Amino acid sequence: MQVTLKIFRYNPEVDKKIHYETYNFEAQETDRILDLLEHVKGYFDGTLSFRRSCAHGVCGSDAMRINGRNMLACKVLVRDVGGQITIEPLLGLKIQKDLIVDMEPFFDNYKKVLPWFINDSPLPADERERLQSPQQRARFDDTTKCILCAACTTSCPTFWANDDYLGPAAIVTAHRFIYDSRDEAAAERLHILSETSGVARCHTAYNCTLACPREIEITRAIGELKMSMITGKLD
Amino acid sequence: MGLNRNVSLSTALRYKGQGPFLSFILHRIGGLGMAVFITIHILSVYIEALGWKIGDILNDIYMNWAFQIFIFFCVLFHAINGLRITLLDLFPRLSTYHREALWIEWALFLPVFGLSVIVILATAVGG
Repeated sequence: MQVTLKIFRYNPEVDKKIHYETYNFEAQETDRILDLLEHVKGYFDGTLSFRRSCAHGVCGSDAMRINGRNMLACKVLVRDVGGQITIEPLLGLKIQKDLIVDMEPFFDNYKKVLPWFINDSPLPADERERLQSPQQRARFDDTTKCILCAACTTSCPTFWANDDYLGPAAIVTAHRFIYDSRDEAAAERLHILSETSGVARCHTAYNCTLACPREIEITRAIGELKMSMITGKLD
Repeated sequence: MGLNRNVSLSTALRYKGQGPFLSFILHRIGGLGMAVFITIHILSVYIEALGWKIGDILNDIYMNWAFQIFIFFCVLFHAINGLRITLLDLFPRLSTYHREALWIEWALFLPVFGLSVIVILATAVGG
C-alpha cells in the first residue's frame, strides 16, 4: 500500500522554525512505524533523527506522537493507523532535533521519588533473601512493567501546563516501591508525593493510561496513592 | 538549544486523547462558563443599582435562551463529570472500568440536557 508520512523536522543548527516534510512510498500493512522511519532515513534523508534501540517495545526509546497520540513506533503497525501518518515528537519536553526530545527533566522527576529499593534492616536469619508472598508481589505487579518511555508523562495535560508536576511515570515508579512489602521508605515517598507537585495535580484525564504501551493502569495507581495518603494505609 | 518546553493551548487541544480527554476539556469549559455567568450576574446587579443602562444589556445576555442553554450545559456537564471523577478517585479499583463510566456519564447527561434544551426553547418561543 501507498503511505504518506508527514514528519516533524527541526534542526536547531540550521532551522529557525519547525517544519514538516512529507514522504510518499510503498509499505506493507504489517510494517511498523519504526520501519517507515528507518526507510525514510535510509532512502530519503539520512539526517532524520529519532531514538530507537531494541525495536521490540522493551527499551522505550521510540515513544513519539503518531497521528496525534503518544505511542511506541516499534509497537504500532501501518494497518493500525492507516496510510496517512503524521509523526511528531513528544509534547512538553524540549526538542533537540527532529523527533528527539530532551529527557533530562523527565528523569529528574523520576529521581525525586527515590526509585530504588530501600531497606536498612538486617537480612533474615538465613541471610539469603527477604521473602514475599505471591499476594504481596501481586500488589505492585502492574507498576513493575514501566519502561520509562515517557509516553504517559508527555500525554498528561497537567505536565504540559506545570513545570513542577512529577508526572505519571515518576508516580508509577513510586507506586512500585511504596506497595512493595520489602521496602521501608513508603512514608518518605508518600511525603514526596503529597507535596504540591505530587499526586494532587492529577486531574484524572486518563491520557496516561491510554498512552501507556505496557497497558499499565496508571490512573488507578495514582488513585491508590491518593487514597493511601488520605487513609494512611498501604493495603 | 531547543524549542520552548511549554505546550500551546492549540497544540494541547489537538492531542488525540479520546473520550476521557474530551470530558476533561469540557469540564474546564464548564467551569469557565459558570465563572463567566456568575461574573456577569454580579456585574449586572451592581451596575443596575448604579442606574447605568449597560446593566440591562448584561441582563439580556444571560437571560437569552442561547446563553441559558450554554450555561445549563456547563452546570450539568461539570456536575455529572465531577461525580464520575470523584467516584473514580475514591474507588481506584473502578478505574479499570473508566470507559464504561464515561458511557454512563453520557447516558445520564444527554437525555437530561436534551429535555432541558426542549423546555428552554419551548419557553423562549411560547413564553
